[in-house]
Amino acid sequence: MKGSTWIVLRKELKEVLRDRRTLMAIALAALATPLILFVVSEVSTQTATQTYTVGYSGDIPTGLDILLRATALKLESVADPAAAARQQVDLGIAFLPGEIDEYYDPTRQSAQIADIRLQTILGQYDAAQAAAALKDRGIDPGILTPLKLVPHPLSSPVQAASNAFLSFFLPYILITMILTGGFSAALDSSAGERERRTLESLLLTPAPRSRLLLGKIAAITIVSLSAAVVAIGSMFVALTQLSLPGAGGNSVHITLSPAAVPVMVGLAVLIAFSFSAVTLALGTLAKSFRQGQAYVTPLYFITILPASIILFIPDFNPNLAYYLIPILNAVLVLRDAIVHNSVSWPALTVTTISLLATGALSWLAALRLFTREALLTK
Amino acid sequence: MTHAAVVVERLEKTLGTNKVLRGVSFEAQAGEIFGLLGPNGAGKTTTLRIICTLLAPDAGNVGVLGFDTRTAPEEVRRRIGVVTADIGVYPRLSARENVEYFARLCGLLDGDLVRRVDGVIERLDMGSFAKQRAESLSSGQKQKVAIARAIVHDPDVLMFDEPTSNLDVLASKEVREFMVEAKGRGKCVIFSTHVMHDAERLCDRMTILHEGLVVASGSTEEVRGEGRDLESAFLALVEAQ
Repeated sequence: MKGSTWIVLRKELKEVLRDRRTLMAIALAALATPLILFVVSEVSTQTATQTYTVGYSGDIPTGLDILLRATALKLESVADPAAAARQQVDLGIAFLPGEIDEYYDPTRQSAQIADIRLQTILGQYDAAQAAAALKDRGIDPGILTPLKLVPHPLSSPVQAASNAFLSFFLPYILITMILTGGFSAALDSSAGERERRTLESLLLTPAPRSRLLLGKIAAITIVSLSAAVVAIGSMFVALTQLSLPGAGGNSVHITLSPAAVPVMVGLAVLIAFSFSAVTLALGTLAKSFRQGQAYVTPLYFITILPASIILFIPDFNPNLAYYLIPILNAVLVLRDAIVHNSVSWPALTVTTISLLATGALSWLAALRLFTREALLTK
Repeated sequence: MTHAAVVVERLEKTLGTNKVLRGVSFEAQAGEIFGLLGPNGAGKTTTLRIICTLLAPDAGNVGVLGFDTRTAPEEVRRRIGVVTADIGVYPRLSARENVEYFARLCGLLDGDLVRRVDGVIERLDMGSFAKQRAESLSSGQKQKVAIARAIVHDPDVLMFDEPTSNLDVLASKEVREFMVEAKGRGKCVIFSTHVMHDAERLCDRMTILHEGLVVASGSTEEVRGEGRDLESAFLALVEAQ
């Protein structure tokens, strides 16, 4: 009965290919990522080129108006800048002798961006004024910058921006799609068998139950990986067409560092195997597809949390023990491969062991649940 | 008397806190329809599930064609076919694909598999709907799929657990005819039912269970007794407990 696993795998995949729910999940994976990227690109570009309104009172210093307009800050004369900054304009400024009073509402994003632009322009304006005054007095303006900073970036700043973007976006997409892609297939293969009363017939065959289960896990793993491949493939296709605004007004085209590709593929297989075993075990506890959904849905939030850590703590550099935590470890290894184009072998080894152990333990749990009598008597 | 195909000895089983079987024993022969009768909750389904290795007995032994259910469960499953009232089929597979799937899991390979699947499809008159997805089949057609997958590996022991309870008159008749045909081909047929009329017409021998105990056992004539129908005999036995 060596072929039992293969027989179950083929049958499960055949059913999946005829199941609208799973096909829709994969199609959604293909469409959602480019759509999200398109929206991110549009919003970023729009924010970078957006003109904000500055309400002012008093006399504008000579030349400052030209600088403000050049950075897409539109000037509008108002009677009361403080009142105007609450509703009418993004920023209010009052030009007084020897000072500028600024009014803005920090809860408004437009006010924050306008404030940053104003600070930048005023800094440049001040420096230019000081340099001109020194020059008038016959003094070298270079005394203002006794230590001149000359940057020598060791890698392309554009690539760094690209890596930073991918380091949080890619793990998030990978994990989300692996989990959601195989979600329906896993429940259909476990809780679904109980609900449509085919489980008893399946268990009546002479095939060893461990092989039946292995066939199911293999099928779910393939479906999960397919969803991830579709999502990531469509993401990279979309990235060739889109760009994000970078520093200094440059457009950033996102590309993946070479080391990240094999790491991503290896981790995707391990995560898909672990998730398949976990979702199948949880699905086996359920009597129906709907009940299975209730059991598996929290898993999504539990697993997506580690991926989010990178989002909130981009410079999170934990010790090796953290790499024992499933999913968090995969996210960290993938982030390092993307950002630094290198792999820490100890971290990758611990991560691999951790994910394999998670998958194996979940497989054992699923097997135990799959062979318990209560499956048929309750 | 031939050797018993199925031997059940002093079977005991508790599910949760409910002692479902309290020492059930019987033997079923090849070439006969053996009735397992009793009201709902008597322990019929639990007995059948132990025979087909889905449940393990707390005490007692079950042998199927010489194989012990505890020590050789896969050999036992290879030699039995089970049809239940719960007609579960894979809805997105065709009737034929459903049967083929179970045939493969029973170890049938390419040429033999096609021949056997073609054979059961013809024998159960499934040709008209063999390529249809199971989700679009009627209850009777689904029951034929269930029978086909249970017999595709040509088992020597066939167990029917309330097989007609969800079927209309015509579909029920076909199932009954199939059981008689299987008996004619020398199979051991165990028929679990609470429909006394069906049991009286079909069974050669029977055991009546009540609250996990055997209350009568023997040929249909012996259990029925002189001048009574089986239903009267059954009611008398159950009420006497």
